[in-house]
Amino acid sequence: MIRKYSVLVSLAVLAVVMLVPFVIVTLNAVRSPQDYSANGPLSLPDGLYFDGIVEFWNRVDFGGKLWNSLVISGSVAVLAVILSVLNAYALGIGRVRGRVWILVVFLVANTLPQEALVYPLYYLSKQAGLYDSRLGVIIIFTVIQSAFGTYLLASVLGRFPHEILEAAAIDGAGKWRALWRIVVPISRPTLSVLLIFFFIWTWNEFFLPLVFLISNENQTVPVALGVLQGDKMMDATMSSASALLGILPAVVFFLIFQRTLTRGVTVGAIK
Amino acid sequence: MSKVRTCVAALAMLAALAACGSTEPEAGGQAASGGPRVLKLWHYESADGAMGKAWAEAIKQFEASHPGVKVQFEEKAFEQIRQSAGMILNSDEAPDVMEYNKGNATAGLLSKQGLLTDLTPEVTRRGWDKLLSPSLQTTAKYDDRGIMGSGKWFGVPNYAEYVMVYYNKDLFEKHKVEVPTTFDEFTAAMDEFVKDGVTPLAVGGAEYPAQQIFYQLALSKAQRPWVDGFQLYKGKVDFHGPEFTYAAETTADWVEKGYIAKDSAGVKAEDMGVSFMGGKYPIVITGSWWYGRFASEIKDFEWGSFLWPGNTMHAGSSGNIWVVPENAKNKDLAYDFIDITMKKEIQNLLGNSGGIPVAADPAAITDPKNKELIENFTKLSTGDGLAFYPDWPAPGYYDVLVAGVQNLINGSKTPSAVLDEIAGPYEENLADIGN
Repeated sequence: MIRKYSVLVSLAVLAVVMLVPFVIVTLNAVRSPQDYSANGPLSLPDGLYFDGIVEFWNRVDFGGKLWNSLVISGSVAVLAVILSVLNAYALGIGRVRGRVWILVVFLVANTLPQEALVYPLYYLSKQAGLYDSRLGVIIIFTVIQSAFGTYLLASVLGRFPHEILEAAAIDGAGKWRALWRIVVPISRPTLSVLLIFFFIWTWNEFFLPLVFLISNENQTVPVALGVLQGDKMMDATMSSASALLGILPAVVFFLIFQRTLTRGVTVGAIK
Repeated sequence: MSKVRTCVAALAMLAALAACGSTEPEAGGQAASGGPRVLKLWHYESADGAMGKAWAEAIKQFEASHPGVKVQFEEKAFEQIRQSAGMILNSDEAPDVMEYNKGNATAGLLSKQGLLTDLTPEVTRRGWDKLLSPSLQTTAKYDDRGIMGSGKWFGVPNYAEYVMVYYNKDLFEKHKVEVPTTFDEFTAAMDEFVKDGVTPLAVGGAEYPAQQIFYQLALSKAQRPWVDGFQLYKGKVDFHGPEFTYAAETTADWVEKGYIAKDSAGVKAEDMGVSFMGGKYPIVITGSWWYGRFASEIKDFEWGSFLWPGNTMHAGSSGNIWVVPENAKNKDLAYDFIDITMKKEIQNLLGNSGGIPVAADPAAITDPKNKELIENFTKLSTGDGLAFYPDWPAPGYYDVLVAGVQNLINGSKTPSAVLDEIAGPYEENLADIGN
């Protein structure tokens, strides 16, 4: 009994701790700047004030940024999963010679800080005419995300039951058919989790989009949020308004795919 | 089966989207070269600030005087320009004219890399040099090593900024404290507040404000040659000389006397400003970049500003500068635009909106508070009293100074040890640039 309640209480505390930043952001998003200066960030606002949100939306053309983020994150998520599956099929099931070293290379690539990649990527994208284009960023992140995806999936597929594949081979399925008809459907839960992670990670990326998406019309949501941070000044209430707008899509996306996510995570646990 | 098909359909759609994403900017570029001419302009000031308002008017006037030219303005994130200006200017995406940070590490570096256009012929032809006082010109000119103060013009400042003392008139009245005119009166006024149990100074020790107070104290013992020595490397600076020794000892002393709260070492600039606007402190010493926000957001009390009493030199400089990238496609239009922003009309609008114009007509500034702000600046600039900022002389020096002054406020190091701490990186930089 006591154990049950202690778990409940600690979960409640954890939930409150997680929610406090959201509450503070929301409070300040609907507070007028004058109110903020007079009463500070933690008090209850005097009244609801939506001008900050509206003004920010119009100032950065937020609808356009949402669309850009959606296009980039969506394409990256789908393309990176496909690329990861193809790589992992070769490395995990195909057992290519030297696969351990290939995986090590992928792992090292994963740990590289993005700052180290900026200059090479900048020169490459300029040569290819992809600087300041969404396609350039999609290609870059497809590769970055699939480096992780390949590493993860290769170890998952390494333990793929070979009996099934052999049975398929006896039934006359080629390698290609085995991949799409056997391997992909069976590992679908893992793939959907990867897809969602890739989407959210790409959505939240700031540094590379900041450097590669120069024109305002190509920019993503996190880059647009950066407009409010000035040289010496920041606009606290409008920053909160923008932060609220910035996290809402990720939260909505999470809520929609919540079930897939938990299913994917627990599938591994049951096995 | 149907799942596979929807998957493929979704994929095809995304691929199509991605493809359209790549062609769009190209189409825009073609329109620019084929149709009417376009001036590509970037800055990172907010639209309702003084510069934002003045420059919006300048764009209007530019379009009126240049029929057939469209201004394509984009408000940029400061962070984006800071991170990637070098890369952008080295590509075809470079704008025609852009706001950029003045200083050796920013405009100086880009000029050294050959990414900025030498504006010297335009400056003399259009007479911009006659509108700008010598200490404002310092940040517009860079030599071959990218060090400011001499050489060619790579930028044109449109506005200025300086550090001053803001005070809460209501709190001064409540505690019966006179507005000080000399340095002794200033410390006496702070003593009065301490006696009444009020900490007089709002200080942000975690960011730039504390080092600016430290620098102001050093400047109270300094003249132009010392500033030129420290900032422009003309002559040797002794960190244990009278200027810095006085600054370090006085800062520590002010904490001791209770002028500066002991816990202010961890306070950010934003929190400092908000605490002043909330009426918690009677005085804050900071730059004119706070002026507009104080003016629009302080409603509960009367406030004013005065120059740091007794100093001939004050922390301050030109504001950010217009630069024309070497890769700009319409340099002639860029020069015309800069010229419009230097006109009396635009400069006056800048002043009336709460900014500090560099070439305004003082009589045209109507708001009494803005007038005071600009008159104080004129006093300072005609006396050649702009001493720049303490973190300018060496790359990464900002963090060195923050740490040093925090040690003074916390009392964790003696003033002499702090001076050694901040002298090290400065001397290293001198050695690096070969002075």
